[in-house]
Amino acid sequence: MSFYKVTKCAPNRKILSHEAPEWLKCLRSVNRCNTIRLSDRQQDMRPAEAMAHLTIARRKPSVPRLTKMERQDALVGFLFIAPFIILYLIFSFLPILQGFWISLHNWDVIGTNIKFVGLRNYEILFGKDKLFWSSLEHTLFFAVLAGPGLIIVGLSLALMLNQRVRGIGIFRTIFYMPNILSVTVVGLVFARVFAPGERGFVNAVLDSLGVSMGSWFLDEASAMPTVAITKVWWSVGFNMLIFLAGLQDIPQTLYDAAKVDGGGRWALFRHVTLPGLRRPMLFVIVLQVIASVQVFPLIDVLTGGGPAGSTRPLVMYLFERSFDYWQLGYGSAIAFVLFIFLFSVSILQLWFFSRGEGD
Amino acid sequence: MEAVPSIERLSSQQALGQRQQTRRNVFIIAAMTFFAFVWLVPIVWTLALSLRPEHSITANLTLLLPLPFTAENYDFVFSSSRIPRWFVNSLIVATLRTFFQLMICSLAAYSFARVKFPFRQYVFYFVLIGLMVPGQATFIPVYLLFSNLKLLNSFPALILPGVASPFAVFLLVQFFKGIPIELEEAARLDGASRIGVYFRIFLPLSTPVLTALAIFTFLGTWNEYLWPLVAATDPEIMTITIGLNNLTATTYEANYGQTMAAAWTAGLPIVVFFFIFQKRIISGIQISSGIK
Repeated sequence: MSFYKVTKCAPNRKILSHEAPEWLKCLRSVNRCNTIRLSDRQQDMRPAEAMAHLTIARRKPSVPRLTKMERQDALVGFLFIAPFIILYLIFSFLPILQGFWISLHNWDVIGTNIKFVGLRNYEILFGKDKLFWSSLEHTLFFAVLAGPGLIIVGLSLALMLNQRVRGIGIFRTIFYMPNILSVTVVGLVFARVFAPGERGFVNAVLDSLGVSMGSWFLDEASAMPTVAITKVWWSVGFNMLIFLAGLQDIPQTLYDAAKVDGGGRWALFRHVTLPGLRRPMLFVIVLQVIASVQVFPLIDVLTGGGPAGSTRPLVMYLFERSFDYWQLGYGSAIAFVLFIFLFSVSILQLWFFSRGEGD
Repeated sequence: MEAVPSIERLSSQQALGQRQQTRRNVFIIAAMTFFAFVWLVPIVWTLALSLRPEHSITANLTLLLPLPFTAENYDFVFSSSRIPRWFVNSLIVATLRTFFQLMICSLAAYSFARVKFPFRQYVFYFVLIGLMVPGQATFIPVYLLFSNLKLLNSFPALILPGVASPFAVFLLVQFFKGIPIELEEAARLDGASRIGVYFRIFLPLSTPVLTALAIFTFLGTWNEYLWPLVAATDPEIMTITIGLNNLTATTYEANYGQTMAAAWTAGLPIVVFFFIFQKRIISGIQISSGIK
């Protein structure tokens, strides 16, 4: 009869207290601090047979058995993450909880008139707040207008840029550049580009071509589409880069194989390129959804929510309620709804992507 | 049965393919040039506006060249507005936030990647939750916090909220995990402490990813809108993104030359910054998106 104590435990390589049969070291069911008993008869058996009769004594590791090194590591580890965790708690995590707590109150900013009202704010929000629903509609409208544009234009640019032509890199730079401009600069520029009357660039060009001029941001029908055009100009370069990276990852051999099989250009695109872009496409779509729900700065600088509130998105409504009317409780309720929605989208994204890894 | 094409036919097909290819390239370049022109028009036009006198703008609106040339709009912007001040504010806020974020997040990331401490995995999951928390969901409580501390309209209020970035930690942990453990073990045997390993091995080896992160944080902070809009209402402390909006919303509206001079005073340094770092920015996007 012999006893083997497991002293160290790597996935497929256990280190035992003394010389043990090779197969014993590869056992999966053995953990650190187990003791394995082998009778003399088992020692002589074939591994498979012996394994069937194996006795493993499980013992919990006695609690404070950290080595000096491990204790030191624990301390150092906590010290190193401490500054991050403290700031993270203060500025990201606790505000979520606190925001929910505030949303259960009527809460003035002065802080003198705080009254617990339970879920009343949410009741009003979903029940009879027309402005909330209309701002949700505008947000959705923006997403529906800008989303496809950003994806189709981004993909087209990427496809054209994915060629071995000298000097094509300069175009990549040009299309990406607007992305780094701040929203205020974009707002100031496009307020002039799409200015109504003859003071706008587009109108001046249209006029010289004999086409009638538009009022762009000042017309309820055209305001949001014009915002969407501005958005495409501003940020399509990002999608382009993502698609480009995806395209470059598709092995050339796939194209060659498809060509040998007699695939035309459309067939190549449909059966090689598009499936190859599954991951970047998902990534772009998810980011687009998240960004669309959060849309506010661009609309704020371009239309201020007008004309007549027809472009007011959700976050602008949240902002107005909180900082124009100082109804922080109500504002927090809107913020919490927003949080729940975006959180769910992110979880879905994680789920999709972890599924993608498995393929 | 299909006939095997002869060598000559193949090569003539290839020549045909080559010619087609060239024609296609010419077409692509032409199309790209056209799109690039359209893309650049808003920038070129407004830059030209900022360099033209107002009477000439009224006479010929769509001119894409700064003719007749004048710098008076920029003179006006620099002498009679707070734009230089806001510019400096933005520089301070963006630089300090970037610096603190890199230090604090890389230190935490090193710990998550390499130091074994109790509950490490759970703490890391807890941090990852932060990836899904949008700024709009937290800014009311954070506003109240700074308001209670009487710290609204201060640099700490503008800088601190973006410092602890779960995204930065996540990105750096991925990168640090790829650094060979042997390097660290060798240094430890030579008597280096954990902090020594972090400073002398991990930071130098991760310069590319740290640079990409720094650029994004800097640009993101420079262009941040919602939080400074709430936190900085005093014109003395505004960042340029907010100040500019405020200024043009009230005073300049009608004057194209001055408005555009103001806009490009804010925008041009960023454009120059972009051209200096464009390789890193572009590869950084592709790295951090996880596509490459």
